Amino acid sequence: MATKPKAVQHKEVLITGFGGQGIVLAGQILGKAASLVDRKESTLTQSYGPEARGGACSAQVIISQSTIHYPYVRIPHIVVCLSQGGYDKYAKSIRPDGMLIVDQDLVRISEGSDLTLYRVPATRIAEEVGRRMMANIVMLGFLSAVSDLVTREALHETVVKSVPKGTEELNSTAFNKGHDYGAAILKGMEKKAAGKKGAK
Amino acid sequence: MDKPKIILFICNWGPHAAFQALQDKDADIPAEVRMIRIPCTGRMSKSLLFKSFEMGADGVALVGCEPGSCRYGSGTETAERNVEDMRGILHLLGLGGDRLRLAMFLPDESDALLQFLQDFRDVIDTIGKSPVTPHPRDLSALSHMETARVVASHDVYACQDCGKCSSACPVTLSGKTFSPRAMANAIIGGDLDSPSVVEDVWSCLTCGLCTDRCPSVVNFPDFIREMRHVLKGGGVEGHQSHGGFFQSLMRTMTSPDLSINHWDWLPEDIKTDEKSSILYFGGCAPYFDTFFRHHLGVNTSDILSDSLRLMNFFDIFPAVQPGERCCGHDLLWSGDEENFLRLARLNAKAFEEMGIEEIVTSCPECFRTLSHDYPRAGIPLNVKVTHVYDLLEKEISKGAVGFEESDHKITFQDPCRLSRLEGRPELPRKLLQRLRPRGFKEMQDRGISALCCGNCAWTGCDSYTKALQNKRLRQAKVTGSDLLVTACPKCQIHLKCAMQDPFRGNEIQMEIMDLTGLMAKTIKWE
Ligand code: SF4
Ligand code: SF4
Ligand code: SF4
Repeated sequence: MATKPKAVQHKEVLITGFGGQGIVLAGQILGKAASLVDRKESTLTQSYGPEARGGACSAQVIISQSTIHYPYVRIPHIVVCLSQGGYDKYAKSIRPDGMLIVDQDLVRISEGSDLTLYRVPATRIAEEVGRRMMANIVMLGFLSAVSDLVTREALHETVVKSVPKGTEELNSTAFNKGHDYGAAILKGMEKKAAGKKGAK
Repeated sequence: MDKPKIILFICNWGPHAAFQALQDKDADIPAEVRMIRIPCTGRMSKSLLFKSFEMGADGVALVGCEPGSCRYGSGTETAERNVEDMRGILHLLGLGGDRLRLAMFLPDESDALLQFLQDFRDVIDTIGKSPVTPHPRDLSALSHMETARVVASHDVYACQDCGKCSSACPVTLSGKTFSPRAMANAIIGGDLDSPSVVEDVWSCLTCGLCTDRCPSVVNFPDFIREMRHVLKGGGVEGHQSHGGFFQSLMRTMTSPDLSINHWDWLPEDIKTDEKSSILYFGGCAPYFDTFFRHHLGVNTSDILSDSLRLMNFFDIFPAVQPGERCCGHDLLWSGDEENFLRLARLNAKAFEEMGIEEIVTSCPECFRTLSHDYPRAGIPLNVKVTHVYDLLEKEISKGAVGFEESDHKITFQDPCRLSRLEGRPELPRKLLQRLRPRGFKEMQDRGISALCCGNCAWTGCDSYTKALQNKRLRQAKVTGSDLLVTACPKCQIHLKCAMQDPFRGNEIQMEIMDLTGLMAKTIKWE
């Protein structure tokens, strides 16, 4: 699809939110899927400190075709924000051709940037599925549709393996909803670009 | 090979004299022509014209008087309209409109009449024999055994004689002497000749409201459906609307060799894919529109094109079946199970040959019939049957889709087959909630308690059902809405028909649009 970035060479991803949103788990799942299933290299580092107790926290994931020499994210290609604090702190660091994904109900965007921007009702979708705290998984599903960091199958498989026992099905639904939402957004953009906004 | 059969309906007043002159001269009238004298071409209703084809005619000529010379004034114009509509129907059926001709001759134009008949014979010779194979029905005596079986299988004995059904039934409430309870009791008592059986079995709308209220859950729709079959087998027919045209049409479709043109009117902007494993099953709307073109001006084919447009919007390109036949709903519900089964078998075979895995339909009757009545009748379709609303709800809920505001205040007419018989009044409402009209207000009777559009299976339409429709349209008016949204082509037809009431005028007039139409008009990618 036209809007997807080119095949991964070396991609730096930053996932931010506040404690309790499963930010680090999302980072872990992303990295594991890339390395253990898709057989790429990946690293994960996480910010601790005061943030771990409810403030902004972040997971930094690097996915690469070749050995990663430095595990910290410097200029991220993709930033995923599940909180206003995370957005305020990290959105500026993103590459000019990068991608910003925010929870549309939790993050207010300051205008004026050329980034590829996706607003996703992740928390709302997670609530519909049954648990608010699955917004992180919805975001992963979304990511699997709009980027080619990892394959959808790898990410889905890793989600199911990494979540607490008994919640696999709910999380799988949340993931698929996120993916469908991403696919729908891409389809809509494609259609609009082709001048077909409506059905008639 | 058999000689073709050509029927000549000829008006008694003018051209019949010309025909007699030919007979007197022993002129060379083609032997294929069988002449039937009629009082006026305008009296040949569409159903009578069509009936000839159902019964195996290869050609029909309707011969009358020049417009100015009709003894009754407007006969010729009526005939022109009827013939035009019926030629449209013959085209859809793949029989070819040319099998039906209208011509006018003065009494002294016998040579021209002869020329016309010879030409017509040549035309029919070229087109060939009609592929319609008529199925005359075997009638037997009314069977009490059969009745007992039907009564037992629907547990009508469980009736407690409480009368709740009569107090809920819209037909009873419209003032007709009609009581579901009395009918049930008469049938149980074996009193099959009583008027409350012979007439009332055909007056029920099979709407299912009574079942919803009955403490013993006596399933009237199913019971009535089978009683109709029993009665019809014994030669007891009910009043069929439009001279039984629609039943006649559906019976004709049981001929296996028809090459039907169900879809050749489809607008070009719509994409279908003959290799798809998803089939969009449209239903009989093109026939309805052709039949009512000069009367109600309905446009129910829009439901088909708008459903396809909505599917295309989501990049779903289903197959359509060029030779699509009726699902058989109305035959089944007007007592003709034999021909229903014939249609069902032909359809099942066609789906299998096309390699279909899923059928999507927008018609609540087709949906019910394909998903429910085919398997029940022993014709399982090994495919998934999906109502287009389910498909749309699924796609829209994925996200990124919205609706433009529309300038209407809307209210909604529930389709009985989906809302009550299928028990899913929430389905169309989920979609309605997504729309952005100026207002949406429900009618007093709604959801599973909704009032019927006033007719089912083209059976039993009368002044009482008109009163019922009036009541329904008033309920719609009271909501203050300016657009009545429907979800079934028939609701649209029957309610539009009721609006023609010259004495009510504006009191019950309202714009009608199908839900798919409103959606297709306003849906957009966000
Ligand atoms: S509501 Fe049911 S139980 Fe009562 S009279 Fe009618 S059929 Fe009998
Ligand atoms: S099915 Fe409807 S029309 Fe028939 S008896 Fe029951 S309520 Fe009356
Ligand atoms: S309501 Fe009108 S269109 Fe419907 S069956 Fe009766 S006469 Fe025909």
